[in-house]
Amino acid sequence: MSKATKEKTRRLGIILFALFAFALLMGPGPGILIINPDPADPDATRFLLGMPIVYVWAVFWLGVQGLCVTLAYLFIWRKSDA
Amino acid sequence: MIIPILAQAAHPDSSSPLSTIAVVVLVVYMLLLLLLGYLGYRRSKATEEDFYLAGRGQGFLVTVMTIMATFFSSAAILGIPGNVYKDGAAFVLFALNLPVAGACIYLFGTKIRRIGQKRNYVTQGDMIADYYGDTGLIRLLVALIGFLYVLPYVIMQIKAGGYLAQGMFPDAGSMRFFGREFGMFQLGATALSFVTMFYVLIGGMRSVAWTDVLQGFLVFGGMILAAIATIVALGGFSGFFEKVSTLPPEALALPGPSKTWHPSTLMTICIFSSIGSLIQPAQWIRLYAARNDNTLKRSSLVFAIVLPPCFIFGIMLVALGGRALFPPEITAEGIVPHPHIGEFDQIVIVMVKEQLPEMLGTLGIVLVAVILVAVLAASMSTADSNLHALSAVLTRDVYDRLLRPRSSERERAWVGRAVIVFATLLALGLVTAGHDNENFAPLKKIADLMFAAVAFACQLLPLTLDMLFFRKGTKAGAMAGMIAGIFAVFLFTPFPYALFGDTSLMEQIGVTTGKLKKLFDLGFCGLVVNCVVFAGVSCFTRRLAPDHVKSFAADMGIDSSSHD
Repeated sequence: MSKATKEKTRRLGIILFALFAFALLMGPGPGILIINPDPADPDATRFLLGMPIVYVWAVFWLGVQGLCVTLAYLFIWRKSDA
Repeated sequence: MIIPILAQAAHPDSSSPLSTIAVVVLVVYMLLLLLLGYLGYRRSKATEEDFYLAGRGQGFLVTVMTIMATFFSSAAILGIPGNVYKDGAAFVLFALNLPVAGACIYLFGTKIRRIGQKRNYVTQGDMIADYYGDTGLIRLLVALIGFLYVLPYVIMQIKAGGYLAQGMFPDAGSMRFFGREFGMFQLGATALSFVTMFYVLIGGMRSVAWTDVLQGFLVFGGMILAAIATIVALGGFSGFFEKVSTLPPEALALPGPSKTWHPSTLMTICIFSSIGSLIQPAQWIRLYAARNDNTLKRSSLVFAIVLPPCFIFGIMLVALGGRALFPPEITAEGIVPHPHIGEFDQIVIVMVKEQLPEMLGTLGIVLVAVILVAVLAASMSTADSNLHALSAVLTRDVYDRLLRPRSSERERAWVGRAVIVFATLLALGLVTAGHDNENFAPLKKIADLMFAAVAFACQLLPLTLDMLFFRKGTKAGAMAGMIAGIFAVFLFTPFPYALFGDTSLMEQIGVTTGKLKKLFDLGFCGLVVNCVVFAGVSCFTRRLAPDHVKSFAADMGIDSSSHD
C-alpha cells in the first residue's frame, strides 16, 4: 500500500470508529433520552412507523453500526496485510 | 429463572403428538451430534495443537458459527426475550452490543491469531504470560478468571438438559441403576453431560466446532422461525402493530417497568459485557484456531450484520408480541409474569407452543419440537466450548507450567481428557445433588457466581488492550490490576457476606454496590478499579524490555513505524 493510500485508509478508520462510537452514545447511551417518551405525558410520541419509537431508534443505530463494520470490511480490512 | 421453565416446555401429556415428535427430533439431534463427534475424531491428529485448536485450520463457516454459538447460551432464546417481555422496548437496545463484539473479532482476533500461530500459543495464558513474563502468579490469575467464567456456565447448561428432559417426559417413571432411583431430570442431565463429554473427548476442537455449526443453525433458525410464527399468528404485520400499540407507556420507554434499564446501564453492558464475552477462554481459543486473517475478517462482518437481525427482527419481536398478549402484572412484590406464562423466560416457548401447532398442524408441532431442541442446542454449544476451554486452561496453564513442567505431550493429552471427564462428572454431581436438595449450598453459590461470570472475564480487557494496542503496561501493573478487578467484582457477589458476616462495613459496601449495579454494568465497575490500579502501578514499576515489546508487536503483524 502506498503512503497516500495508507493515510486515506487511516483517516477512514478514524471516521468509522468515531461514527461507531457515536452510534453507541446515541443508541443505548444518553442519546436515547432525546426521543425517550415520558410515560406520564399522554401527548408524548411513543410510536413511529407502527412500532415503539425506542425500537425504531435501536434499529436505526444498529443499522449505523452495521454500516460502519461493512465499510470497514470493504475499504480497510480487506486491504490490510495478511 | 431460565432453567425451571424448561420443565414446563413440553406438553404435559406424555402421549401427546408433541411429546412423541419431540422424542424423535431429540434422538435425531443427539445422533447427529455423536456422528459429528465421531467424524471429528476420524479427522483429528494426536497432538495438543490439533485437540485444542483443530490444527489452526478452521475455515470461515466453522469459525463464524462456533464463535456465534459459543457467544450465546440458552439466554439467546430464553433470557434475552424474557427481559424484553418483562421490560418492553427498553431492553431491545441490548441488541446494540452485537456489532461491538463483531468488530472486536477483527480488531482483537487478527493480532491474537497471528502471534498465536507464530509462537504456538494454545491458551490466552500463553500469550499473556509470554508478553508480561511467565510467572506462576500471572498464569494462575488468568486461569482463575477463566475458571470463574467457565464453571458456572457448564453447570447451568447441564441443569438445562435435566429440566428439558423432565418437561419432555413428565409421566415417565424413574429407572433403577445400581440400587438408586434416577428420575427424568437426572437421566436428562446425565444424557446431556455424557453426549457432550463424549464428542469433546474424542474429537476435541474439531468435534466441538462442527457440532457448534449444527447447533448455531438450530438456534438462529429457531429465533427467526419463532418471530415469523408470532407475526403470522397475530394477523400479519398490521395485526402485530395493532397488538403492540396496546403496550402500556412504561413498556415503551426507558428505564422500563422494572426501572432497571438506564442509558448508563445499557451502554456499559453493550460495550463491556460484549467484549468480556468475547475475550473469555473459549473464544480466545477460537481466534487462535482460525485458518487465516480473512477467516476472521469475514467472521467479524457476519457476526456484526447477521446476528443482530436474528434478535431485533426475530426473538425480540416474539417477546414484544407476547407482552401485548399476556401482559405481566404489577404486584406488591414487583412485576410478575402473566399466570399463563409462568416465568419471564418462558415467553418464547409459550408463544410458539400455542401458535405453531394451530397454524401448521403436524408441521407446527415438528417446528415446536425443533425450537425446544434449539434451546437444548444453545445450552450444549456453550457447555462443550467451555468444557474444552477448561481442559486447555487447567492442563496448559496449571498442570504443565506450574505442576509438571517436564510433562510430555502424551501425558498432557491424557490430563486434558481427565479434566474434561472430572469437570463433567463434578458438574453433573453438583446439579443432581442440587436438584434433590433446593438448599444445596455449593450449587447455590455457583448460581450466584454466574451473573458475575462475564464481569470476571472483563478483567482481562485492560491487559488485552495493552498487549494489542498500547504496550505501555508492566508485569506488576497487569497482576495488580487483575487482582484489584477480580476483588472488585467479588464485592458485587454474596461471597463477601458469607466470609465476613453482616458487619457495618459490609453493609456500606452492599449499599454502594447496590447503587452502582443500578447504573452500570458489573464488568465496567470492576474494570474501572482494574484500569486505575493497572495504570497507576505501571507508572512506578519497571517497564518491559523495548526489544521484547517490539518483537511482540512485529509478530502480531504491526508495522514498527505505526502506533496502531
